[in-house]
Parts: sequence; structure tokens; C-alpha cells
Amino acid sequence: MIEVSRLTKVFKPGRGLFEVFRKGPNVKALERVDLRVREGQIMALLGPNGAGKTTLIKILSSLLLPDEGEVKIGGMDVKKHGRAVKKIVGLAVGEERSFYFRLTGRQNLHFFASLYSLSRAVARKKINEIAELLGIEDLDRRFQEYSTGGKQRLAIARCLLSDAKVILMDEPTRSLDPIAACELGKLIKERLAGELGRTVLFATHLTHEAEELADEIAVIDRGEIKVHGSLAELRSKIKNPDASVEDIYRWSVSS
Amino acid sequence: MVGFIVKSWAFFKRDLIESASYKMSFILEIGGILANIFSFFFIARLVGDSAKPYLAEYGGNYFPFVVIGIAFSGYLSASLDSYTQAIGKEQGTGTLEALLITPTGLPTIVLGGAIWNFVFTSLRVAVYLLLGAAFFGLDMKNANVPAALLILVLTITSLSGFGIVSAGFTLMLKRGDPVNFFVGGFSKFLAGVYFPIAILPPFVQKVSLFIPLTYALHAMRMAILSGASISSLYSDIAMLSLFSAILIPLSILFFRYSVRRVMTDGSWAHY
Repeated sequence: MIEVSRLTKVFKPGRGLFEVFRKGPNVKALERVDLRVREGQIMALLGPNGAGKTTLIKILSSLLLPDEGEVKIGGMDVKKHGRAVKKIVGLAVGEERSFYFRLTGRQNLHFFASLYSLSRAVARKKINEIAELLGIEDLDRRFQEYSTGGKQRLAIARCLLSDAKVILMDEPTRSLDPIAACELGKLIKERLAGELGRTVLFATHLTHEAEELADEIAVIDRGEIKVHGSLAELRSKIKNPDASVEDIYRWSVSS
Repeated sequence: MVGFIVKSWAFFKRDLIESASYKMSFILEIGGILANIFSFFFIARLVGDSAKPYLAEYGGNYFPFVVIGIAFSGYLSASLDSYTQAIGKEQGTGTLEALLITPTGLPTIVLGGAIWNFVFTSLRVAVYLLLGAAFFGLDMKNANVPAALLILVLTITSLSGFGIVSAGFTLMLKRGDPVNFFVGGFSKFLAGVYFPIAILPPFVQKVSLFIPLTYALHAMRMAILSGASISSLYSDIAMLSLFSAILIPLSILFFRYSVRRVMTDGSWAHY
């Protein structure tokens, strides 16, 4: 479903026509990244802060252009078919500010449904179904009145509006309390991947989250994928059948 | 096209709901217009007949001249600011990336996000004209409405060229947009919003000729106050069309360049 090959991204500050005063060294965010996520699979992109997780997710969601390499989602090149890719990709960021605070949850979802070209009747039906599926109880509160967990559920609801086959999540449990994080984890595993068969790629720096939720784990550090595979494959790679994800992560980052 | 209209309507509705949730702001806006009209009503009394030689083609009175100038110069601000605000607001609130991940092009986001501002500007213009006519003797019985509407459309398209360039700068620089600073800052002075440009020194009057608002205000005043026909306004119409024909394609090119830059450096959400 997601195929990434030899993906490289370098940020070059101060190179723009109107940014003559901004200077700084080039930052290599991603270097020859290869990655493959199969349909219906959950993959955790595990790495420390600044490892390149967000950059990779932004490229996958067509928000950022790669310098080199190829990225295909559902067989479509994100660079050439950005608009078509956006129809099958949903992005949920661990960011509270991606909705309109003065609008209710329902108004927000209706607005985004319009951007996915859903008719009002279809949107109304779908929003109610998704709210039930995700356990969002009251859609008629202003967005600013939701708890952090509630806001995160709305972000996932927005992804489902489009029937996204691929759901990208950037640190989905960031700023959630342990119970809310656990519930969200269940929702991702049981509902999104289990019931709905969506492909999920989520970035995290929490090893236990990766272990609990993911079918496969990719460890990324300083822009490079150090290892990736199922937990069993990773254990055999480091030749330690009892290794935890944390052990694998430490081994990958230090190697 | 249908998709664009549906999505633009969604943006308009969103902005209407948001604006309506700030009720006091609405009330203060009307209060501000009233205060402005009152001020210029008394300034017009003070000016009296002394301005007549300069305002002969508009009927000779300062008050109608300045009310039309102030009301329609709102479209200068709307054309310059609306597109920039559509981007800046989404950057500031953190919603820009959420919009861009949907199959909605940035032009739709920018144009759709600007509609409310234009509609609100039109409401302000209507309030200016209605209050002026109802309480301050603004006489519009000779107004040529089709000509005024044509001038309005050309005003918006010619000034929007600057606005789209301005939005491009906002995408790249986030703040400190030079177009808005120069065009917005000097246009009202040079185009004759508050006074006829005939009283400016001759070399400054020549500079005014390079500003679309100069032609827009002249034609609008002539259409509303003197009932000028479309054919008699041909030179203003031609100049506004020329500005549109040059500025719109250039602004689209610049905007595309800025989008490419931001897609490369990934600074969509920076502000």
C-alpha cells in the first residue's frame, strides 16, 4: 500500500530569493529511505525527536516534496498524483490546533466533508456513523470544549470522512493521559485496522506504543531507517529472541 | 467548477459561523462606520464650497465624494488583505496542513477563504451608502448601477493581482509582506480617497496614474454620483482591464513559485 524507495530530503535554509538573511547549514532530514507497508497493516515509525519521522509523514501526505527517490501510495506516485493520493490518505497529527475552535465538532466535520466533496446528506450520515464508531459522544460542542482525547478522536474522524485507505498519524498519543492513550491505541488496532482494514502508519517515540499496536516497526534515526520488520524479524536481526522493542530501538540507534 | 463553488461555499459558511460567534465585533463595526460618516459629514460642512472647483465633475459636494471614496476603498483593503489573511489565518490557527491534506487545491483555499471578507466589505459599503443616503443627504438617484457593478468587478480583479502576490509573500515570509506595505500604504493617499488628485502636485498626480484604485474611484464616483454611462467611462474601464490582464497572470506565476518554495522547505505551518 505504501512503497518508499531511496527517499532523500535535504532542507536548505537561506536559499530562497526572499530569504537572503536566513542562513544555516543544510539539514539532511531523510537519506535513502526504503520502506514498505502492506495493506491493512499497522506500522510504527519509531525514532527520537528530529529523526525524520514528521518529514517522512509530510512527504507521504503530499505536503512536502522529496528531493530524490520515489513514494507510491496505492500504486500512485505522490509527486505526480498528489490530488489523487490525497483522496486515499488521511492525516491525524497529535496537534490540537488543526480544527476551528469556534465551530462545533459537527460543524468542523461538515466543513472538512465538503472539502472531500461529500454531499450534505452523505456527510450527515457518515459523521453520525463515524462518531458512533469512535465513541464521540457529543458532536455539538465547540471544538475548544473537547478534552485532548476528544480532539484526537475528531482528528481520526476527519480521516475516516474521506474513506482514507491509508491513515498517517504523527505522534497520535502526544499529550494524552495514559487511559486516553490506551483507548486510542485500542481504537487504532481494533477499529481502524481490525474492523475497517485501514493501513496505518504512525510515528512515535514511545517503544511500548510501537510494541502494543504495530504489526511492523521501522526504527528511524538521523534520517535513516536503521531496521524494519515484524518484532520476530527484528529480534532475529539483533540475534536476541527475548529482546523488547526498547532493546531493539537502543541497538538500532546506537549501531 | 462545481467542486470549486461547493468548496468555496463551505469556506464562506465556516467564516460566517466564526464571525457571527463574535457578536460584539459586528456591533462595533457598525458603530465605527457611523463615527466615520459623522466625522466626514462635518468635515464636508467645514470644507463647504471651497472644494467645488476640484469636484465639479462629481457634482461639487465634498461629502458624497468622500463617502464613495471611503466606502469603495474598502475593496482595496479587501483585495490586498483577503488572500493573505486566508493563508495567514490558517497558518496561525494551525489548520493549513489539515486543509492541504484534503483534495483541495491551494487556490481554492485562498479564494474560498477570501470570499467572506469581500462579502463583509460589500455589507460595509452598503451600510455606508444607506446611512449616507438616509441621514446625510447622499444623493444616488442618478446612479448607473450596471456601470457601478462593472467597475466594482474590474476594481476587484485589478487589485486582486496585488493581493495574490501578497499571499505568495505571506506563504514564504509569513510576515513582512512588502506589496501590502507599499500598495496598501500609498494607494489611499495617491488614488484620491479623501481628496481629488487634482490638488496634488503635478508629478505626484503622474504617480497616481500607475495605481488601479485611481481609475476605480474616479469611475465609481462618476457612475454613482453623475450617472455616467459605461461608454463614457471607457478610459477607466480600459485601464482597469489592462491592470487586470497584466497583474493577474503575473501574480499567479509568483504564487506558484511561492507554493513550490514552501512545498520544498516544508514551512506550510510556520508563522
